[in-house]
Amino acid sequence: MKNPYEVLGVSENATDEEIKSAYKALAKKYHPDNYVDSPLADLANEKMKEINEAYDTITDMRKNGGAANSSGYSSGSSNSYAGYGYSGNSQFRSIRMLINSGKIQDAERMLNNIPQSQRNAEWFFLNGMVMMNKGWSEQAYSCFRQAYTMDPNNPEYRAAFNRMNSQRAYGPGGYDQRGGAGCSCCDICVGLWCADTCCSCMGGNCC
Amino acid sequence: MFGYVQIEKSELLVKEYETYKSIYCTLCKTLGKEYSVFSRFILSYDFTFFAALSMGVHDEKVCFKKGRCTFNPLKKCVFCGVENEDMKKAAALSVITAFYKLKDDINDGGLGKKLRSYLVYPFFARWRKKAAKKYPEYEEAVSNMSEMQEQVEKDPMCHIDMAAEPTAKMLASVMQLQGSDDFEKRVFFELGYHLGRWIYFIDAVDDLQKDKKRGCFNPFLKLSDYEDGKEKEESFRQYCSEVLNQSMCLSYNAYNLIDIKRFKGIIDNIYLKGLPVVQRKVLFGKGEFNNEESL
Repeated sequence: MKNPYEVLGVSENATDEEIKSAYKALAKKYHPDNYVDSPLADLANEKMKEINEAYDTITDMRKNGGAANSSGYSSGSSNSYAGYGYSGNSQFRSIRMLINSGKIQDAERMLNNIPQSQRNAEWFFLNGMVMMNKGWSEQAYSCFRQAYTMDPNNPEYRAAFNRMNSQRAYGPGGYDQRGGAGCSCCDICVGLWCADTCCSCMGGNCC
Repeated sequence: MFGYVQIEKSELLVKEYETYKSIYCTLCKTLGKEYSVFSRFILSYDFTFFAALSMGVHDEKVCFKKGRCTFNPLKKCVFCGVENEDMKKAAALSVITAFYKLKDDINDGGLGKKLRSYLVYPFFARWRKKAAKKYPEYEEAVSNMSEMQEQVEKDPMCHIDMAAEPTAKMLASVMQLQGSDDFEKRVFFELGYHLGRWIYFIDAVDDLQKDKKRGCFNPFLKLSDYEDGKEKEESFRQYCSEVLNQSMCLSYNAYNLIDIKRFKGIIDNIYLKGLPVVQRKVLFGKGEFNNEESL
């Protein structure tokens, strides 16, 4: 097994606080939500497990062999991403199973064989999953949007659509770069402050 | 190849900037040594990123060495990772992609560009031959891309995912070769795929006006008929920004899963600051961004 300190990227002399924040930063990075529709979901899961174990080992060691600490983030939700939705149609159920086990091409073939008239919200959702796994995120986006429009009350479709939107709105690391003519809260404050300074420097104290 | 994968200098630490510069200089030097003095002109930021990422992941030692710049003997340079295998790979890839880019220019460039391309063609061909002999897998990946691109552009049903597929696949398979085990290979594939998409899209957005005038293929052409107003143009740019954001985000998520042993600050900077800045310049800045330093 790897050295748990190395896994978290901290030194062995690090304080509990440092270890906790290192763990939190990593957990945020590997969080299953970032990889739900990604073909790398299982790998992210592995990583998550690794840091959970490392964190638990360290806390246990520091407590001198206390009871197993399991304050870790859950890492189990990502693997069942296409598995939890209820599916009345047996064909869709087997397509979900194919996607879950990574047989994307087979899933795609089955989806394409379903006639146009039977393509409901679930069809679009599953097709979105397939497209996302292929890396075709534009097709995936329009599929998820379609699924959401056809059945806005379904939490699964809504979640998928929202995930796509957040990836599209923000760059990695939450770096806002929609750019252009933005006017943030800060801009307004600075603007007011400048105006105030100008006013008072001319003698009149207008604001 | 295109030169969009850049650092954001102002956000780097000085030592990180120095390191980045030394990687850049070494790639230049490697090109000169392996191919020819003139092949140094095809040096690009994209393959500097490739070299930095590859060396950052692999265990081999990277030595720093002082030396002088060939083009400006008065300037002292630091070189990093001379004789490193990853550096040689980056040089080979630069040469091979430059050759196919040139071929592309000959096929659908303007008259001036065509003539210029014909002039340098024999040199590029010779370098490519040498690189292809040493790294046949790269040659295969890039030539596949070139073939696929031609087919895709002829397809009337072509949507933007399809249009980006050849470039994305090329970078994915090239990156995949850098992975040392199954885990890394899969992650690198994803990383390369979405970064390839990003590069393809940013280049397409950047060339949109030019392609429109000349009637060349551009994946955004169908979507960009915004002659009838500023509002439409604004929403088109917003759309492009979303497409690019998502590719960047997915590539970054993949990158997060790899253990980076060195140069992490530099690579993070490229993903979190460099790419967004380039993207903003191309989408919302004035005029063309087009980085013409790679011919």
